[in-house]
Amino acid sequence: MSDEPVTGVQSILPEGTQPTPMLPKGLKRVPSGVDQLATEHLILNVGPQHPSTHGVLHMLVELDGEEVIAAEADIGFLHRGIEKLAESRRYHQMGTILDRADYVSGFHTETAFALATEKLAEIEVPRKASWIRSLVMELNRCASHYVWLGPVGMDAGAMAPFLYLMREREMILDVLEAISGSRMMFNYVRPGGVVRDLPAGIDAPLRAWLAIADKYLGETEDLLGGNEIFRARMKGVGVIAPETALAFGMSGACLRSSGIDFDLRKARPYCAYGEIDFDVPLGTVGDAFDRYKVRVEEIHQSVRIVRQLLDGMPEGEHTSKVAKALRPPAGEVYAAVESPRGELGIHLISDGGPTPYRLRLRSPAYYNLGVADELLAGGLIADMIVSLGSLDIVLGEIDR
Amino acid sequence: MPAQRVADILAAAGVPSAPSDELLGAVVRLEASRVADALAALLAEGFDFFLDLFGTDTGEAIELTYHVRALAALDDVFLKVVVPYDGEAPSVWRSYPAVLHAEREAAELLGVSFPGHPNPKRLLTTEGCDPFLRKSVAVRSAEEVRLPRE
Amino acid sequence: MSLFLAILLRFVGLVALLLVNGVVLIYMLRKVLARLHLRIGPNRTGPWGLLQTTADVAKLLTKEDLRATPTDRLLFNTAPYLVFVPAFMAYIPIALSPVLVAAHLDTGPLFVFAVLSMVPLGVVMAGWASNSKWSLIGGMRAAGLQIAYEVPLLLSALGPVMIAGSLDPLRIVAAQSGTWLGFIPRWFVLPQIVAFFIYAIASQAETQQTPFDMSEAESELICGFSNEYGGMRFGFLYLAEFSNMFIASAVGTLLFFGGWQLPWVATPLWLAPIVFIVKVYIGIYFMMWARGSLPRFRMDQLLGFAWKVLIPVSLVWVVLSGVVIRLVSR
Repeated sequence: MSDEPVTGVQSILPEGTQPTPMLPKGLKRVPSGVDQLATEHLILNVGPQHPSTHGVLHMLVELDGEEVIAAEADIGFLHRGIEKLAESRRYHQMGTILDRADYVSGFHTETAFALATEKLAEIEVPRKASWIRSLVMELNRCASHYVWLGPVGMDAGAMAPFLYLMREREMILDVLEAISGSRMMFNYVRPGGVVRDLPAGIDAPLRAWLAIADKYLGETEDLLGGNEIFRARMKGVGVIAPETALAFGMSGACLRSSGIDFDLRKARPYCAYGEIDFDVPLGTVGDAFDRYKVRVEEIHQSVRIVRQLLDGMPEGEHTSKVAKALRPPAGEVYAAVESPRGELGIHLISDGGPTPYRLRLRSPAYYNLGVADELLAGGLIADMIVSLGSLDIVLGEIDR
Repeated sequence: MPAQRVADILAAAGVPSAPSDELLGAVVRLEASRVADALAALLAEGFDFFLDLFGTDTGEAIELTYHVRALAALDDVFLKVVVPYDGEAPSVWRSYPAVLHAEREAAELLGVSFPGHPNPKRLLTTEGCDPFLRKSVAVRSAEEVRLPRE
Repeated sequence: MSLFLAILLRFVGLVALLLVNGVVLIYMLRKVLARLHLRIGPNRTGPWGLLQTTADVAKLLTKEDLRATPTDRLLFNTAPYLVFVPAFMAYIPIALSPVLVAAHLDTGPLFVFAVLSMVPLGVVMAGWASNSKWSLIGGMRAAGLQIAYEVPLLLSALGPVMIAGSLDPLRIVAAQSGTWLGFIPRWFVLPQIVAFFIYAIASQAETQQTPFDMSEAESELICGFSNEYGGMRFGFLYLAEFSNMFIASAVGTLLFFGGWQLPWVATPLWLAPIVFIVKVYIGIYFMMWARGSLPRFRMDQLLGFAWKVLIPVSLVWVVLSGVVIRLVSR
């Protein structure tokens, strides 16, 4: 590595000193975790039982006073071996375990798996099934963003917005329950289509939500984004430069808030997204406030998408004929959807048997969390909580 | 991007590889020891987005798949290397820091190692867990699991 | 004998006031926050959930007194009292009416601020003795916060005191009787509007409520300095917080809102304590409102705000009002 260019302080190192190899673009330090032998600093264990770790995340934090010197995400407290379990499940049974991976937006994992299976087994999907999938995914995205927006306010100390957003989320969950029969563990999207058609009369509760969604969200925006204290807490905190976001493979709103325009719904349209008109909001600075703004705007866009999907819902079958004991030919495929957290991919390897040979879940939050080491160092404890919250981590999906 | 183009890029960097276009996309197979050089070459060619690293137990060895993408051109490339059980592949974190967690995960769940990793600890499981993504490790119920006691 | 009886009566009266206040305020906080949050709040124990806090107090009193082994026994056990006793002492000069006061002190507000400035000592002690990193950080934060906000708190009280020309609560209230121009009550909040806002902000910080609830900071420090406390020791820390809320609002009422006096009409003696308590609770309601709707400051922003904004502004305001008062009184 000695032929690599030497930069900064290292260029004035005394003769004979070995320069450290250059760091990858976007990194300030070698992500070697917390030095637990540095006794002059305080080592703080944040979590796994802590109000603001959004599940069972354990952050190992090295503190100097209140300043974070180094931080390390320790995950795995929710590891259920979903990838291993998937190897013993048939294709139509997979929804039950995949819902439990990203439990906040199960439809996205289900759809990614269905898309992968359909690609592998060459199954045609009726147009209506694609539209229903898009509809439930967008509803799920709003529900998921509500569950992000509320707690990030709580991380900053504001309790009220969380409970206001729960009210809207409840309306969505009621709709999703009417559609799929479950509020969170849907098991509704299957290879070939969806389990059953949209129920009659689903229009009314959906339109009721559409009528208030923008207005109520605007109120929450006033309460959070319009508040000086909230702005002071979020602006300039947890800044992720575009190259840092790329270096850590971040995707979704975290990547877009750094100013990189990448949304799978636009880049590789799947389901009904090719026929729908919507915008992809982008950030400029890449701080926590940008991530807040991008996600709020995404909810507005989702409302727009749901309205179009509802107006243009095609007639027809909700699923194509698929054998119960599906045996896709041997092969390997990758299919991905834009989940609320980013690119959620299913990498499926089949050996021609009734169960997948290997199923890999490319979890967006897993990669988004990878930036923690780089992101949190240098901030205060309070910044750490806000930065971590702004990444939108879901531990079920990270640990799998 | 056809797999042959990727193989040409790698050949220019001095890494021999076997390209093939599959249902998956452009797949390039190469020696495990050269994967760090190969990925460094791809990064320099604009493959700026690292998606995933995971391992598969093929029954004879562990196959590691590196998935990278050129965001601007939307080209996906899958690099596949084969390492023996308990074998090793060089850590590629200096090209793609995103791989840090994925390497730790692959190391513990498949029993391979990644020399050069800055923080080579276990990630998801505790000390003493089997590398259970190997086919030889059966799915067991909670009652059957016995962690080694001191 | 009668002297002893009088002291005993006052003591019992103060304890009763403090305890009743605590119980009512906790219930009120729960209900007010619930209303702000679109929730219902306690509604199961007793009519409208009225007995919820009583049940909680009973629970806290009967809980096992636990202390983690690595804690410092002496400091850990003393700290709650060091927090609670000043909060209790601060009730002494609070005059509910011209006659209803535990002890008539010529330096009422000063006494209150003086005893309350002992609270951070207990908080730091609790944080340190807990032998927990979270508690320690919480305690340090509380100390930094209270020291920073005590200065503007004291300075903001200077304005009304200068107008009244006395530190005696009775004379401060008396100076606020009558009206200006026949219809504006002579409450000091009008001429001292800047001082009032400084007082409101600083007292919110002194009572450690949401935009300034650094030492607790639930989403950061879990429960701050009171992390390791349970049972009635926690009860004392909690009760002190609510009693401080009452004190802050009561002193504010005395200084800025005419104490026990009704505007425009003379207040009968029997009505005075009720008027006073109602005014205090209106003040507390506003404190809870802020608590329910605002996010929390960061520690450095908070200290910066105190030292760079509040203190200079209050200093300038003191000088300005001094000059004006001198000119007017000529």
